[in-house]
Amino acid sequence: MSSSYMPHAPHKTALILFPAFDWCISPNHPEREERLLYTRDQLIEEGLEDVENILFFNPELATFHDINRVHLSVPSAEKLLTESHLISAGGTLRAARAVMEKEAEKAFAIVRPPGHHAMQTVFGDRGFCVINIEAIMVEYIRRHYGVRKIAIVDTDCHHGDGTQDIFYNDPDTLFISMHQDGRTLYPGSGFLHETGGPAAEGYTVNIPLPPNTCDAGFDMVMERVVMPILDEFEPELIINSAGQDNHYTDPITNMNFTAQGYARLNRLLDPDICVLEGGYSIEGALPYTNLGIILAMAGMDFSQVREPDYDPGKFVQPPEMNRYIEALCTKALAVFSGRGGRRQEAQQRRIVTNQKNIFYDTTGFHVQEKTSYHLCPECPGYSEIKATGHNRHIHAFTVPFNGCPRCQSEAKDVFSKLKPEPGKITALQDRVEDIYETK
Amino acid sequence: MMIQVDFFLYHLSERKGAGMIIGIDVGGTHADGVLLDGDKLLGKHKVSVDQQQLSDVIITLLQHLVPGDRSKLTRIHLSSTLCTNAIVTGSLEPVGMLIQAGPGMNPDFFARSCSTWFLDGAIDHRGQILRDPDPAKIDAAAVAMLQEGINSIGIVTKFSHRNNRHELQVAERLAGHFAHVSMGHRISGLPNFPRRVYSTWLNGALSSQFNLFKNALEQGLRHLGITCPCHVLKADGGTIPFSRACEFPCESVHSGPSASVMGCLALSSQTDDAVLLDIGGTTTDIALLVDGAPLLEPYGVNVAGRPTLIRALKTTSIGLGGDSRVAWHNGTFRIGPERQGTSMAEGGSAPTPTDAMVVLGKLSIGSQQKAGMAMLALCPREAPEYTATLLLESFAQHIRLAVETMIEEVFARPVYTVAALLHRRRIQPRQIVAIGGPAEALQPFLSESLFLPCTVPANYEVANAIGAARARLTVQATLYADTGDGRLSIPEISCLEKIASRFTMPDAEKRLKDAIDTMVAEMGMKTCPEIDFLERLEMNVVRGFSTSGKILTLKAQIRPGLTTI
Repeated sequence: MSSSYMPHAPHKTALILFPAFDWCISPNHPEREERLLYTRDQLIEEGLEDVENILFFNPELATFHDINRVHLSVPSAEKLLTESHLISAGGTLRAARAVMEKEAEKAFAIVRPPGHHAMQTVFGDRGFCVINIEAIMVEYIRRHYGVRKIAIVDTDCHHGDGTQDIFYNDPDTLFISMHQDGRTLYPGSGFLHETGGPAAEGYTVNIPLPPNTCDAGFDMVMERVVMPILDEFEPELIINSAGQDNHYTDPITNMNFTAQGYARLNRLLDPDICVLEGGYSIEGALPYTNLGIILAMAGMDFSQVREPDYDPGKFVQPPEMNRYIEALCTKALAVFSGRGGRRQEAQQRRIVTNQKNIFYDTTGFHVQEKTSYHLCPECPGYSEIKATGHNRHIHAFTVPFNGCPRCQSEAKDVFSKLKPEPGKITALQDRVEDIYETK
Repeated sequence: MMIQVDFFLYHLSERKGAGMIIGIDVGGTHADGVLLDGDKLLGKHKVSVDQQQLSDVIITLLQHLVPGDRSKLTRIHLSSTLCTNAIVTGSLEPVGMLIQAGPGMNPDFFARSCSTWFLDGAIDHRGQILRDPDPAKIDAAAVAMLQEGINSIGIVTKFSHRNNRHELQVAERLAGHFAHVSMGHRISGLPNFPRRVYSTWLNGALSSQFNLFKNALEQGLRHLGITCPCHVLKADGGTIPFSRACEFPCESVHSGPSASVMGCLALSSQTDDAVLLDIGGTTTDIALLVDGAPLLEPYGVNVAGRPTLIRALKTTSIGLGGDSRVAWHNGTFRIGPERQGTSMAEGGSAPTPTDAMVVLGKLSIGSQQKAGMAMLALCPREAPEYTATLLLESFAQHIRLAVETMIEEVFARPVYTVAALLHRRRIQPRQIVAIGGPAEALQPFLSESLFLPCTVPANYEVANAIGAARARLTVQATLYADTGDGRLSIPEISCLEKIASRFTMPDAEKRLKDAIDTMVAEMGMKTCPEIDFLERLEMNVVRGFSTSGKILTLKAQIRPGLTTI
């Protein structure tokens, strides 16, 4: 395969391309068999398999243990998930392994179904996602490779509410999401004021962009917010939740981002791992955006990756939009620079409680959830989650990977003292010991 | 839904009915020929080779082999080094490449190795025409090529396997100006644009030489009074008639390894997974059988470093042979990849595995004493027999590692469906078939190292010629139908036609069967063997919230296999 007759990728890049041609949510759903057909066809026709330093790997199957490290599944992961979900998550694990074991410098999991709307508690499918494949990958990396500081930059058009939820109280995970303003798009969240849990204030940064934001707007956010914050946070790993539905042809969103824009964003971000999220312009966008992202990651020339109807003069932001995004950038920067603002509460070992209502749009039901953060001066503290919905209940305790021994034993004690209740799952998720126990 | 069938495999079937066949395998230094009646070996002959006079070499072999009654001879099958030589000696004809790359990866890299003229315009992944190429650019390219004295051109567009219109348009526009015109879509229906470009380039580069060769050979055949059809062996273990090979000379490359694999099959019938080894003086070629059928490359063979779509058996060549130079280094043997003349037993200067075989009495060539010296040169303090045993064990271990790597590589090939991922099967060899000079001596070592029975078939020295003789015609064709667009493409026969919106998979099968039947008839075969359909993919195209059509893809092939028993 090695020859000077094919281009050479300066960064060795692993692709886990798994279009799952035999899986769909339902035949006419955006998340259907056809979704990655044209992407597959484009990538194969380009001859990427023969480019020196681009490697193709099949996904592996994630285990239920990998899922339970992150999620609190109701009634259980085994009952909620199909093999397709384990393969999609397994695709991200394969990507992680490729990078962590230095088979490649970069990896891109082009897999489906996506995951960034899946929260820590899982009662079913929401926003086309059941399990959060990035989060599963992040905790897998921490477990197996001892990595601590990780940045997730979510470039999907929809707010990555699931990923935000899972890492909300973790100051070692920087979560930045740029997306179409939640007032105009599912899931209706991701506002500036959502800045992280009490132990991780400022480590969640939301950038809700106005509808019709163009390349210029995304470039500005990257240059003024994302890159400066990353420089300061100094993550050991950067992950891009690479949704591609900001594209101007996407049927379910309203943005004006291009394949060139996506490629440029990834060249600047220089992520270690990309994970495909949404993107439903399957014919006019995905073949080009995916190719652009791959070439950008691999350090190759992407200047000729253009949509057939691309016209650089077509999408120009009006001055008032430029000013709006400029102001937004300033506010988003302030979120991060004001990080760690609630240390006092931790010093006083307070319990901080959040309530929320989570809507499962695919089948249409609500879950009421109450999260109590048991704060600690030594660590982010353990959290206690009570959730009810769909006639099911869970009461769970999560010790984060960076939890201290004291919080770990406290969570264990509280859990062991609870009596099992019929119709309710009581769970202990201890990421330090890597155990998941239910009763 | 898609039903994935592993298309890299074929199944061998045996048919009755052919008469006598002469098989010829031209190698680097010598050429072998056999005369077969069914599977009965009636005659064999060996001559040394002058690569400049290949047709003479072949005619000499034929003189020795052709039966007195010429009418009994039904075919001649030829595996030659013509194309390999042209590549090695740099005597390829210059080709002007007209390339339409459309959006995507920067195509400038093609210009590093071919004379390239880029066209504008584009076709997309569904075979839809985005923009036609500018005729002025085509004409300017043609003028420039003619000025450079280019006689052979190659025309390739991205996605031409989905829509050949631009390739045809360019060819029509330039018709009559160049001696040879090769078009990408005719060479393969598979995706992979760079491979299509290099395959087309190679085809163009071989056209003149192949025609000269054909004329010389036909003249010789006439002299000998031979009128039966002459076929050439391809890299995929099948044959095509000379007439087709003239149009697609690129298909005749890399036939040596496929002759060897088909020879192994002919000499030892296999139905399980197996490892085939052709152990020579400098290299060992490894091939794998799955359920008795040889494994194919997913796209095609690499020729002179260039990836192509020329369908080929999957073979791995490692620099390990009887005459490989051996050194003792940090407690292990380093065998090959280079060789330094012959074994010490035969007067060479460096120890070789052949010396070890001589020491152990497994080979009786050269001097036993010098072979012993070779072992002592490696390990002065050990008994030569002991060193020789260790050396051959190490040789077998090298082969085991290469086989394992190859099996892993095949297992890791990308799959695209949940069903295919969950049902992947790893090749589990039950048998080794080894041929080549050192094979017999290595038999017990291979068997022990790979924990498998190892056979060395009789007449293996003419395995390649037998393989060439016993191989049969192969053809493949690819169909892409888009009922939403009402279009069907079978690139291999330049077919681009309208279809009704109710076109179904059974229609696709019928259309593809007709295509294959036509190709077979054009190749002068009266009956068409059974056709395999592979890689069925049927996908609903949903726009808005309703189905606007279907995309159907399908491949068909005549299984490569052995003729006649």
